[in-house]
Amino acid sequence: MDKSSTQRLPPLKRTWWLKHGFFKLYMLREATVLPLLFFTFCLLAGMFALLQGAESWQGWIAFMGSPIVLVLNLLALAASLFHAATFFVLFPRVMPLRIAGHSLPDQVIVAGQWAGVVAVALLFFWLLGRA
Amino acid sequence: MSTEQITAKRVSTNNIGTNNISTKNISTKHISVKRYLPDNSTESYWQAYDLPVDDSTSLLDALNHIKEQLDSTLSYRWSCRMAICGSCGVMVNGIPKLGCKTFLRDYEGDIRIEPLAHFPVQRDLVVDMEIFLEHLAAVKPYLIDDNPVKAFDPQAPETYRQTPEQLERYKQFANCINCGLCYSACPQFGLNPEFLGPAAITLAHRYNLDSRDHGKKQRMAELNRHEGVWSCTFVGFCSKVCPKHVDPAAAVNQGKVEAAKHTLIALFKG
Amino acid sequence: MQQRDFDIVIVGGGGAGLRAAIGAAEHAKEHKTPQRIALLSKVYPMRSHTVAAEGGAAAVTSPEDSHQAHFDDTVSGGDWLVEQGVADYFVHHAYQELVQMERWGCPWSRKDDGQVQVRRFGGMKTARTWFAADKTGFHMLHTLFQTSLKYPEIERFDEYFVLDLAVHEGAVIGVIAHQIATGELTLLRAKAVVLATGGAGRLFRFNTNAGIVTGDGMAMAYRHGVALRDMEFVQYHPTGLPGSGILITEACRGEGGILLNKDGYRYLQDYGLGPETPLGKPENKYMELGPRDKLSQAFWQEQQAGRTGKFGDSDVVYLDLRHLGEKTILERLPFICELAKAYINVDPVKEPIPIRPAVHYTMGGIETDPKCETSIAGLYAAGECASVGLHGANRLGSNSLTELLVFGRLAGEQASQRAAKTEWADERLLEAQGDRQQAKLLRLCDGTEGAENWVALKHAMVQAMEDGCGIYRTEEGMRHSLDTMRQLRERFNKVRVNDTSKIFNTELLECLELECGLDIAEASCLGALERRESRGAHQRLDEGMQKRDDVNYLKHSQVFYQGDAHAELRWQDVDVRFSAPAERAYGDAGKGSKA
Repeated sequence: MDKSSTQRLPPLKRTWWLKHGFFKLYMLREATVLPLLFFTFCLLAGMFALLQGAESWQGWIAFMGSPIVLVLNLLALAASLFHAATFFVLFPRVMPLRIAGHSLPDQVIVAGQWAGVVAVALLFFWLLGRA
Repeated sequence: MSTEQITAKRVSTNNIGTNNISTKNISTKHISVKRYLPDNSTESYWQAYDLPVDDSTSLLDALNHIKEQLDSTLSYRWSCRMAICGSCGVMVNGIPKLGCKTFLRDYEGDIRIEPLAHFPVQRDLVVDMEIFLEHLAAVKPYLIDDNPVKAFDPQAPETYRQTPEQLERYKQFANCINCGLCYSACPQFGLNPEFLGPAAITLAHRYNLDSRDHGKKQRMAELNRHEGVWSCTFVGFCSKVCPKHVDPAAAVNQGKVEAAKHTLIALFKG
Repeated sequence: MQQRDFDIVIVGGGGAGLRAAIGAAEHAKEHKTPQRIALLSKVYPMRSHTVAAEGGAAAVTSPEDSHQAHFDDTVSGGDWLVEQGVADYFVHHAYQELVQMERWGCPWSRKDDGQVQVRRFGGMKTARTWFAADKTGFHMLHTLFQTSLKYPEIERFDEYFVLDLAVHEGAVIGVIAHQIATGELTLLRAKAVVLATGGAGRLFRFNTNAGIVTGDGMAMAYRHGVALRDMEFVQYHPTGLPGSGILITEACRGEGGILLNKDGYRYLQDYGLGPETPLGKPENKYMELGPRDKLSQAFWQEQQAGRTGKFGDSDVVYLDLRHLGEKTILERLPFICELAKAYINVDPVKEPIPIRPAVHYTMGGIETDPKCETSIAGLYAAGECASVGLHGANRLGSNSLTELLVFGRLAGEQASQRAAKTEWADERLLEAQGDRQQAKLLRLCDGTEGAENWVALKHAMVQAMEDGCGIYRTEEGMRHSLDTMRQLRERFNKVRVNDTSKIFNTELLECLELECGLDIAEASCLGALERRESRGAHQRLDEGMQKRDDVNYLKHSQVFYQGDAHAELRWQDVDVRFSAPAERAYGDAGKGSKA
């Protein structure tokens, strides 16, 4: 008698991720791609509008200023930061860095990545100021 | 803390073997177990038990009590009682845990016990671990030292040298007790049982990181494919449930870095 | 009934069984005789109880050490009941086995220069115990299991419970196994069989052992007429957690841990293990590094004198590690920290750990000759289930893990050698034995009225063994235990299971294990009663029997199964060819002695 003939294996339900807070957070992390996608479309639309001429460009500016689009892009910023936060915490586990035979503590690597974010932000604001 | 203070400690004991539960702090807990008796029926069903517990009662103690005093037909695996053999994995309120290291004092209300998720159920809380064993074997989980500088000679035996730092690099990943909780935690394995899974990939990685091993290339084909490391989306729940803090998610994703490096190098080599 | 043919069948997938399988495979390869090896275990191999061993494996390693010293420590540790030819072989083959493990990838703990580290252990003159943090057995078992996957000639039968040996005309011809997942029987024909089924600690109420350590293989060999040797010698490990009996490794004491009674006093100095060694500077064979039997006996004495503390319902003493410092404790003894915190809510960094002696190891077992062969041709035994004669009346810590390798390999090689020049027996002989086992299982499941309850019998057994065969024994106590075992064995005939299903019926397994236990418990009680002296782990309070009696009892006990009749006991001389029995001394009293 083959033991597998009497086994039962319920298939994974589509709602598997609703079972636990950990999974919901994971799905949220994965879902951050959606607002970011929206933001990317906005940028592409902007580039296209620029090529089309001044009138299109004004249209795009108005579009970007409309309340819904503003809210969605703020959401995209929040999503981006959330994604960064989760990614930065995972990164030391994926690429543990070693200096002189000792592994760098995780908090150092996380802090380093946030330092990079701050540097990028500072660069942006400096460039913006000069414009 | 003086010995007097220790003797004053209130934690009561629960003697295995006689189920002689101490008279301190006894309460009743309600446990529901998912039963499946293939000899009788193709359907599973819930069965409830009420039993006396104290501060130190583990889920395993409770199952043993049920088996001996209430219902001898309940089947489950167990052995060491000290979270080192990996036998007693079950779902406790939907979370994979070891029965011997789950304490009922931490639970209120109905405690739902089910067999480990994502594995075929053989009976009651017993699942078929064959796929797990197959995945483990598939990654060549043994030291591959091909043409070592010194072949092992029983007349003049010599060990490899390995410094504590070198040992540190893989030690954590060598602590896996093969309990399978990570597979129950992993939705990718739940979706596709052909995925090698956390423990198998961690074991491969343990050997890849061992300074005495030279088998990384031989393991690469198995790891560097869709059902190898690339099915993992770093949900990370495997590491959360691992009772030995092995951090399989780290191992799998470090494995991705190695696999990517391998592919790139192969590309350039042409 | 399915039938399969193999050259070699190995029963038991722990350290000894796996090493035997690999040893047989290597031997066959070397001699260019392809052989098929079956490895059967009632649990997946990585669940075997080897996994719980913590402390380490001994072998002569440092230049200051010598085979003579390891030999002397082992022989005196065993209170001169050790087969000295066997001990000699053992100490000379230990090092190469541990090196082989390292070559197979075992993560031994290291010194800064990359060489393997050794630690002190109880009863050993020099530090010679190799270790892998405080999970040596775990790492060894996983290394062996993973290495065994390299050999396609080893076919595993996981979760197969071997019901019986098939024996014909004084030779073993195969085994009859029950596939737990389906309830079906499988007959395995073999030219050689190795038993590596582990000890019998679960016979006692309070023990460090896993649920599976029920003496199945011992019972199987015993029922076929093989002697169980030295079964009265049961080791009480001095440091088990109160309540569960979970093992707290001797390595704690090897690292410098101390034992205190309820007054905070290091009481071992009053029991021939003194004088007190300075805190954090343990000295081999002094105080907490004395042998296990003496430490457990000291506990009992303190308990009698009312100087033990209490933890819940248990009398305890205290293992203090605080002076070692957090860094050392977390580095060398991380598993212990985890265990103490999880199971009794004590942090060893901050408080002493309450502990008490628990049954841990069975020195006795299936009698084998120095090459692991039993009195049945082609039947070998290795590991805790066997009595090859290495441990005598008391085992030294860290000798057992090495024993698995040295004698596991030897048994495997011997089996391979025999299989190369033996033919299979007639299949019908196996079928007949298979039918008998099938009938027995059906009987257990036939739901007869007025059945006995196996749970009650099990509880009665373990209580009686604890009462009569404890750390100190009396004539009256042992006689009572012996009578109880015989009664329980009789009552077992009326046991019926409630669960008559076929698929993964664990109630049936518990009954079969209980039956095995009741058979061999009689041997243990009989040997204890008839040994009218005190030696090693067998200590009697009876008048005139409190000391070692080399005149009358420098002998092994052999117990022979007689079916329903009382078991028969005989005495066997001990091989003392190298070292004549001397005073077994530790602490200052042991200074200058050979051992």
